[in-house]
Amino acid sequence: MQSHGFLRTKEIASIVLIFVAIKFADSTPTLLSQKAQNGFWIIPAISFIVIFPSFLVMLYLLKKYEDKHVVQLCEAITGKWLGKLIGLVFFLFAFSSMVFDARNYIEQVKMLYFPESPTDYIFFIFIIVAFFGAKRGFEVIGYTSRIALPVIKFSALLVILLIWEEVVTERVFPVFGSGLSIIATEGIIKASIFAELFFVLIAYKATKETKMFRKGAIIASIIALAELLLFYFIYITVFDYNSIEKIAFPFHDIIQRIEFGEFFTNIETIFMVFWLFAAYLKFIYFLYFSAWFFGAVFNIDNFEPLLLPLAFLVILIGLLPYNSAQTQLVYHEQLYTLMSPFFIFLPFLLWFVAWLKGDLRT
Amino acid sequence: MRYPILFVVLSFLFLLVGCYDRIELEKQSYVVVIGVDKTDERGVYEFTYKISNPEVGSASVPNTPDEPAAEIVTVQGSDILSATYTANSIVSKRITLDQTKVIVTSEELARSEDFMRVIQSTSRSPQIRGDIQLVVTKEKAVDFLNNNEPLVETRPHKYYQFMLTRAIETGIIPKATLHRFFQITEGDADLFLGIYATTEMDNNEQHNEGIEDKYIAGEIPQQGGSPTQFMGSAVFKEGQMIDTIDGEETRLVHMLDKTLRMEEYIATIPDPILPEFFVSYDYSQKKEPVINIDYYPNKPTEINVHVKFQAEIIAVPSLIPYTQNLEYRKKLEEEIVKRLEDKTEAFIKKTQTEYKSDPFYWSLYIRKHFKDIKEYEKADWHKNIYPNAKINVTYELDTLEFGKMIDDSDLNEVRD
Amino acid sequence: MRIFSRQQNNNSTVSEKKIIGSLSSNIREMKQLFSYDINKDFSLRTLTTRFNKREACIFYYGSIVDGERINLHIIKPLLENEGDEVSNIVSIENIEKIKEYEKVVQNINSGKAILFIDGDTDAYAMDVANFQHRTIPTSENESVVKGPQDAFTESLDNNISLIRKQIHNNQLINEGVQIGIRSHDEVNLLYLKDLVNQELLDNIRKRIKELEVDNVRNIELLEQYIEERPYSLIPTILYSEKPDKAASYIEDGYIVLLMESSSACLIVPVTFWSFFHSPEDRYLRFFYGNFTRTIRFICLILSLLVSAAFVAITNYHSEMLPPDLLLAITGSRERVPFPLIMEILLMEIAFELIREAGLRIPNPLGPTIGIVGALILGQAAVEANIISPIIVIIVALSGLSSFALADLSINYMVRLMRFIFIMCAGFWGMLSLTAAFFLFFMYAASIKSFGVPFFSPLSPHYISTKDTVFRQFIKKEKFRPGYIRPKDLQKKR
Repeated sequence: MQSHGFLRTKEIASIVLIFVAIKFADSTPTLLSQKAQNGFWIIPAISFIVIFPSFLVMLYLLKKYEDKHVVQLCEAITGKWLGKLIGLVFFLFAFSSMVFDARNYIEQVKMLYFPESPTDYIFFIFIIVAFFGAKRGFEVIGYTSRIALPVIKFSALLVILLIWEEVVTERVFPVFGSGLSIIATEGIIKASIFAELFFVLIAYKATKETKMFRKGAIIASIIALAELLLFYFIYITVFDYNSIEKIAFPFHDIIQRIEFGEFFTNIETIFMVFWLFAAYLKFIYFLYFSAWFFGAVFNIDNFEPLLLPLAFLVILIGLLPYNSAQTQLVYHEQLYTLMSPFFIFLPFLLWFVAWLKGDLRT
Repeated sequence: MRYPILFVVLSFLFLLVGCYDRIELEKQSYVVVIGVDKTDERGVYEFTYKISNPEVGSASVPNTPDEPAAEIVTVQGSDILSATYTANSIVSKRITLDQTKVIVTSEELARSEDFMRVIQSTSRSPQIRGDIQLVVTKEKAVDFLNNNEPLVETRPHKYYQFMLTRAIETGIIPKATLHRFFQITEGDADLFLGIYATTEMDNNEQHNEGIEDKYIAGEIPQQGGSPTQFMGSAVFKEGQMIDTIDGEETRLVHMLDKTLRMEEYIATIPDPILPEFFVSYDYSQKKEPVINIDYYPNKPTEINVHVKFQAEIIAVPSLIPYTQNLEYRKKLEEEIVKRLEDKTEAFIKKTQTEYKSDPFYWSLYIRKHFKDIKEYEKADWHKNIYPNAKINVTYELDTLEFGKMIDDSDLNEVRD
Repeated sequence: MRIFSRQQNNNSTVSEKKIIGSLSSNIREMKQLFSYDINKDFSLRTLTTRFNKREACIFYYGSIVDGERINLHIIKPLLENEGDEVSNIVSIENIEKIKEYEKVVQNINSGKAILFIDGDTDAYAMDVANFQHRTIPTSENESVVKGPQDAFTESLDNNISLIRKQIHNNQLINEGVQIGIRSHDEVNLLYLKDLVNQELLDNIRKRIKELEVDNVRNIELLEQYIEERPYSLIPTILYSEKPDKAASYIEDGYIVLLMESSSACLIVPVTFWSFFHSPEDRYLRFFYGNFTRTIRFICLILSLLVSAAFVAITNYHSEMLPPDLLLAITGSRERVPFPLIMEILLMEIAFELIREAGLRIPNPLGPTIGIVGALILGQAAVEANIISPIIVIIVALSGLSSFALADLSINYMVRLMRFIFIMCAGFWGMLSLTAAFFLFFMYAASIKSFGVPFFSPLSPHYISTKDTVFRQFIKKEKFRPGYIRPKDLQKKR
């Protein structure tokens, strides 16, 4: 990795913000609303409450063990082999998240904008862009995120403003949707909708000072939560619970509804462009972090050449599952269920081991 | 330096594989209105597409010898999209539904059980927009489309755009998008109102009360102009049409439903002092109605609705000096409010007994009394709560204004 | 290889040769060095000095010296005045003693007269250069309404004088760096010694010195020799003909490169903003300046993307167009024989044609091209149903917008990228257009000009004047741009 210490708080915050907050614009809301019905918009808050302490513990550990990214940290605490195993799990999680998400995003583009194009080719374009983007290196990814962020967020804001007149706040009620207990369990099981926070930790050393990383990540994760809540709230108040369950891509449905005066009635393509920016960035992050985890586990310092094989692997695996609804709703849900306990408990375990070893006393 | 070469190779790849969804503008036909009708066979419907002709009304194409502004094609099929392919045996270009503004369906079909099945397929394709308005016609949709020949707005999309926008603004027809249709139907608690229109004049029922809009389409006496009338709404319960309501009732719905927006309208009431004359006033409602629901699981729910509105007197043919005389004025105010309340009460009664559900989307307000959806669905708004509820609607005249004239000219003085 | 070694050989003999005491052999040597018998403007003048009564000889190129001055300030004093030393006799301001022939050659080439005196092992180089050049012109390629109008001319001294006129500061250094193996050209680096980043300066010096080329005649060629990515579409060196622009960059700690015989300077390092800004933005008042910037930014976007977006929308996303517009475009396209992307490309190429032809056409013919061009592009093509009228609007818009980007390099970049974007838009609509723009953007973000990231100070963030798309109040500009790491960051205390 070629770090010249050009990255600061803002760049890291932008990366985290785009990486996490784009979950409002894919099928995650639909996934969450299946069981929770119109209570689903609170789920991110519960998930966040569950997973954020773990994230903070992780940052604390990283701060204590200076100059290590997350895989090196695990190695330092649990020993080389166990640490590498944990790193490998990180890699597998990141990589499989990417594969499932990729398929989902490509279906969105295909279904809504290019119905006659074969999925393979759109997949190909997506991953090629991700590859070339990732190839530019982490710093450039940081700059691009930083510069693209205001534009992306401005378009999101515009979406909110334009859809606001269709918002009927009463639709939020009954407040707990399908029941408080269901929402709470869903919130814990799906806590890994914030798993991306942990993937970013591999870049811990990329900033000028590590303090900037911590600050950026924490601020951005809170803003991302607010953004998720706001958008989920809008979904539920615009669609109502019976409809949201059936809509595979609520963000695109929202932007299809938007009208800009009487004259411009079908302006979804404008928002699609900014959504695409964010989506490309998301896959760049995924690809780059996957390669980084892989490199960290197998001691490959110059891991950027790994991007190409990984990119092709994504295409190969991503094209396997037959139906997109199946991937998103079944496999992805299983993946979430699998990741949640890992990310919730791992940091505490690490902290406990480190405390036993006495590393934290100094 | 390997990358530029790779890039070139990739761009050739682009060249080879691209262009999948590409289509030139002139190779598409833009459908403005879709009509759906029943056929004798179940599962087969008649679809009518009104396709606009781009060469009409375009300044850059000078010589189009008498081409019509739109082409109307009717084919049979099982759903809207697949019928477009059948229609291609008649239409030379690919039929695109992106610009469609209106779906017209005959009352016959709307009243049948199968209506949901036809209309359901529209939500699956991104081509058909959610903001398409749903119009129910008295006659067959194909007749409606064929008879509907606007005289001034020759381009059909313009006609529908202007016609519907203005009619919705005045509240005589509801805003009936597919979005709303699905939302209310799926929500399974309220009534959906579709736009009611016709080109057939109903001479028997034409009545000439001259006051307010107690018409449904086809009943308005008219001379000249295009024969199409948009007036009143079709009431849908659980995805099936059950009745029509007239323009005035549609207006009441607008006043009481905060999700529907109406700008203003002009209403006429008998002059309280001299009942043989009428007073016209302009009704406008700046604030949403305040709806309070007290939910009791075991006894009738109480629904209190309070509407604040403004009125501006437009015409006082009786020349009663309402501006100066406080007492008269008060009487007028009371008359306005009372009339509204009476009509609302009658209408609500009708919905409670006849439809057994509400067209006002009031199920929204009962929701906060429940903790979760299971309870809410069990309490059953439109089978249980609403039909038995005690509903009390009050109107409050916020300000009464008299326009720019303080007083009318005194007829006696003029005649003097 | 042989030629190369011989050259080396030849060079070493000249450089090693020293001036000897005998005038006649010196003259012989000089005549041979400069091929006196065939080189017509190489002149010599022999005379007998009065102060020590010896034979002397003056060599110079008649075409590049001021004859009057030689006559008045060298020959006349030597013939008439008494004194003990040459430097006390001739009344010329710049006199230098030299011992080697190499120096002699260099000095004569740069317009000096060389005086040899019999018995003296030193020669005297006296500056009488008078290179012909234009007078200081008004800036034509980077014209401004408000602000200084003068532009650089093809004379180094004039150019430096134009810069010094603006910066009265003893720290302003004009450093010469030799370049070229065959002809000895000099690149002048201008910078403020107490501001400039030493590493940056060393880097530039090194790059110039390491050039192994015969000669570099002017700044325009030098630009291509010292840039980092010759294959990149994105320029990394700023080229300007305005001394006030150069001066403002120097004051921020940048380095300006000048050469004799170039009517412009190079400014390094640069960021995207250097290309985007115009000096006038700063001369105009706050709101006016930012208004211009806004317009220019819109122009940049339009010029890059409007044609491509039009192709993408009409070919792939026609639902986006409002029905009236859609029908208007469709109606006008019904009789056009080409696909829309062809129409756009045809018109874009036609526009470039007119532009190029208009540039090269002799002045008297200039107005004709405008009429012909407008007729062909506009009226005739539309009436012949070759293109639809809306295409003319789109292409004219994108063409016109490109003129607002005053900098030549960025202008070319935008025009080239436009074609790439149009192609991309044709392949897969907004999907591929967004992809192409995104990758282009990332590529631009990865560009570094002499170690400075292209989009700094926006990202990576640096302390700076925050002069990016919009500028601040002049009074609020407290810092110099941090990305070039000046020695003194603070502008005001």
